[in-house]
Amino acid sequence: MKIGLEIHFQVSGRKLFCECKGEEGTKELGSFTRKLAVVSGERSEKDAAALQESMKGREFEYRKTENSCLVEMDEEPPHYPGKDTLETAIIVSLILGCKVVDNVHFMRKIVIDGSNTSGFQRTGIVGLHGVFKKGTSNIGITSVTLEEEACRKIKEEENKVVYSLDRLGIPLIEISTDPDIRSPKEARDVAESIGLAVKQSRMIRRETSSIRQDLNISIRGGNRVEIKGVQSLSQIEKVLSKEIERQQSLVEIAGILRNRDVSTDFHIEDLTNSSFFKSSDVFTKGLKAGKKIFGFTLPGLSGVLNNGKYRLGREIAERLRTVGIGGFIHSDELPNYGIGEAEKKEISKRLGAKNEDAFGLVSLESNRLSQCIEIIQSRIAEAKKGVPAETRGANENDTRFLRPLPGSSRMYPETDIQLIPLDSEYIKDVQRKVPPTVEQRVSHLESLGIPRQEAFVSLWKEYDDVLESFVNDFGSPKVCARFLAVVFASERPDVVKASTLLERFSRGNIPSESLEALYREGVFIMPGGRKIVLKKNDSSNYVLELHGKDGNKEIGPDFKFKGQSDERLQKIIKSVIMKNENLVRERGDGSFKLLMGEVMKQVRGEFEGKDISDLLKKMISEASHKDGKTEFQDAGKR
Amino acid sequence: MSSDFDPGDRIEIQWKGTKFSGMFISRDERVTVIKLQNGYNLSLDNGSINSINLISKFVPKKTNISERTGTGKKVFLLGTGGTIASYVDYETGAVKPARTVQEMLYAQPDLAKIATIDAEIILNILSEDVQKKDWINIAKKVYEKADQEEGVVITHGTDVLSFTSSAIAFLLENPKAPVVFTASQRSPDRPSSDAFFNLSGAVKVAQSDVGQVCVVMHSSTSDDSLYIHSGVRLRKMHSSRRDAFKSINTEPIGMIDKNLEIHWRNYERLSKKPMKLYDKMSERVGLLYFYPGMSEELFNKFADINDGLIIAGTGLGHMTNRFISQVSDYTNQGKIIGMTTQCLYGSVDMDVYTTGRNLQKAGIIPLQDMLPEVAFTKLSFLLGNFDAETSRRLLVKNLRGEISGRRTE
Repeated sequence: MKIGLEIHFQVSGRKLFCECKGEEGTKELGSFTRKLAVVSGERSEKDAAALQESMKGREFEYRKTENSCLVEMDEEPPHYPGKDTLETAIIVSLILGCKVVDNVHFMRKIVIDGSNTSGFQRTGIVGLHGVFKKGTSNIGITSVTLEEEACRKIKEEENKVVYSLDRLGIPLIEISTDPDIRSPKEARDVAESIGLAVKQSRMIRRETSSIRQDLNISIRGGNRVEIKGVQSLSQIEKVLSKEIERQQSLVEIAGILRNRDVSTDFHIEDLTNSSFFKSSDVFTKGLKAGKKIFGFTLPGLSGVLNNGKYRLGREIAERLRTVGIGGFIHSDELPNYGIGEAEKKEISKRLGAKNEDAFGLVSLESNRLSQCIEIIQSRIAEAKKGVPAETRGANENDTRFLRPLPGSSRMYPETDIQLIPLDSEYIKDVQRKVPPTVEQRVSHLESLGIPRQEAFVSLWKEYDDVLESFVNDFGSPKVCARFLAVVFASERPDVVKASTLLERFSRGNIPSESLEALYREGVFIMPGGRKIVLKKNDSSNYVLELHGKDGNKEIGPDFKFKGQSDERLQKIIKSVIMKNENLVRERGDGSFKLLMGEVMKQVRGEFEGKDISDLLKKMISEASHKDGKTEFQDAGKR
Repeated sequence: MSSDFDPGDRIEIQWKGTKFSGMFISRDERVTVIKLQNGYNLSLDNGSINSINLISKFVPKKTNISERTGTGKKVFLLGTGGTIASYVDYETGAVKPARTVQEMLYAQPDLAKIATIDAEIILNILSEDVQKKDWINIAKKVYEKADQEEGVVITHGTDVLSFTSSAIAFLLENPKAPVVFTASQRSPDRPSSDAFFNLSGAVKVAQSDVGQVCVVMHSSTSDDSLYIHSGVRLRKMHSSRRDAFKSINTEPIGMIDKNLEIHWRNYERLSKKPMKLYDKMSERVGLLYFYPGMSEELFNKFADINDGLIIAGTGLGHMTNRFISQVSDYTNQGKIIGMTTQCLYGSVDMDVYTTGRNLQKAGIIPLQDMLPEVAFTKLSFLLGNFDAETSRRLLVKNLRGEISGRRTE
């Protein structure tokens, strides 16, 4: 098994090629529409042709924002990158043991899904051939590149995609590792360690969406699959494990099909006027919309479409969905969807399916039938070989098909900006700004009496400087560490605003007033008005107390947040779920966001966000499971 | 270290103690550019490279360019520079200009669906290097094609497009077929280029019955409609936007929607009168942008070397009183001095202020709402083909729609 990572970090400060602020969610200021042409050079390539087909006639609407200008609109040539941004990329390269290039040479990487107004992403290599030491293993770093972030997708309609320009152009540092990683667990660990190391530059944006990973994985007998858009560390392990299972099952399916008479010569029949689908909502709905129902044999595929871990049916359905054909149903999943065992047998007979043959059903406009059949045929041809080389998107736990893996990237030089020379004197200067390694920093904090685990946490959340000065002023390293851990527990800026405070603090700018109050008096006001108080006790040691809105002590000394009263939390969640019973029943997991808000209101910072969300997710799923939502409904949503 | 490599050669390079292979792209006195397998170019300082070794020589892939020329009413594409048709060779990352009809259609495949295309690249120079003799060459070629009743689309750089479009408009009287200019503000190697839509729109207009030289460009930043401007009434008003071109002191003569349907507003149809080509332009006409404090010496030198002068004056058409006596001298010598406005929008009116009246008395001709560069090409055309007296008379006469008495904005 070979796993490689591509980790993306947004760099704080201005955008890469203009002076706009690198923020998301700024005010919208009108919109414009564009089309992108597939540039002819790529037309010889088959995958590009497929892509072109899917993009044909597609229109892109771009929403201008307060933090976008003519550069994002593709109406003005790019400006030169900011000094700080470039320096950050060099520092990151040096942290990862890379050789820094002599000149930054920006390239245009063709991307025609509209996520870049120009039709390409500008990207340039800053560091090359590094080594990152993780425990006893060395992970090769292929390259560190500086590139522009894409637009933020707002919505997708049939022939139109709507994007916001707010995110376009935020600087991204992409770190690509060699395929040196051997397990999902190791992938997670490496991503985490690289993340922590890179964060020491103090120039990485703190928003939760500002770090993203792409994963490259191939297993023995398989092919390289690229997984895009993994948002969290815990997701890496889950997604990879599921992906490995998927690829292994595809290798096994290929083995099974080798011994069968598999053909893509389907027998197709128009079943629109048959009586098989009378009690099937899925099909009657289609008929009402003027669609037809077609049945076709899938020779040799019985028992691999949906049978335990074999899920070739889902693979086919995913491909069809990319061209807007939904509701592919096959014999392995019947009886279901209002089609009984008797109808299944009759359909099979009518189509002339033999022993090992499966059959498929689809409801669509008759002029789309040949496209549908071609897609199924091509996926089956690939199934005989094993794992197709694909670009897949990360779901919460697994992956979905996005597009065939493109050949080597279609790139050509960005001619609007000249080479940016990085002379050795300059690099020497930057070298001096490279922060101490994570291990050096942790050891130092440990030497102050801060527990190792909490020292790590402080580095991860970037409050280690604050922690250090707290310990210098107050003493009591363990209590200070606990205090700040609580203060910085939430990553949601709207909850604590700590990240904003910290941003200023760690940059050495004037500390904001609230942080000063926190710092001077050891009082942290939580949302809802409760306070965490760092207090000297009778024997002159510092302790923590939780005070209510009225100022009276609720818990202390050295109260513990985590797991202090799961029962209380359970009670709160239960009452919220009861109150919203209908919503939970209708929307299932989809009700999470709404309920989370309500629960948060009631607990007011008493519990850690992650504990709340984990328990809430679990309890929602228990509550909604009773209704037995079908897999088909779920799949349709994806 | 040898530098005997050709672009595309596979090489192995040792640099700063590390080694990688890639494709040789170029080398100058400072850097060597190589393309890595993942598509990135690296520009390495020559001094930091330890060694380069050849792995294998480059064998170019043959681009499969078909022989088709498209279907539909015939249109002739005349390339005059500007890279409206070019394509990227992704193997080496080089942007290649289209030089033949086939390459043009390869780069612009949508054209084949609209028209039967024939093409010729007669010039390949930067916009700012265009000279008056180039306008005559273009006019001759356009005349030849229009004479066969074939619509002509001329691709051109944007910078001096309105000079060229107005020059052709004057040199070609009563064209027998549509003459349409177009250009692009984003080069066509980019998926977002405006070239594709602009060119398709221009081809459509070249198949219509429009009888005045026109220019087709984006109407806004969106890819949803194009404007058709009169070739003698427009100006590039932005250095980089797609909708840089504006009709000045008039409305565009039509627009083209995203389905390539033309919606005319007020345009001149092809004339039944015989077409006439004028093939001379005076080289002794200049355009002077007046500024405060301009020296008499500069003005005199400028007037000495020209027979015709177009002044882009301030406001309603002014320049300093200091020049009045020279102006008198020069006009008495028979030189033609015309006044336009730097404001572009609005007309000159030299009766309102004393300076204007004095300048008129000294022989300066107010050129109403004619744009400075249009007045410049017009006077170059007039003095190239007519005597001074006729030129003076025709300069203020509306010949191709370059002057309007009525303005609404």
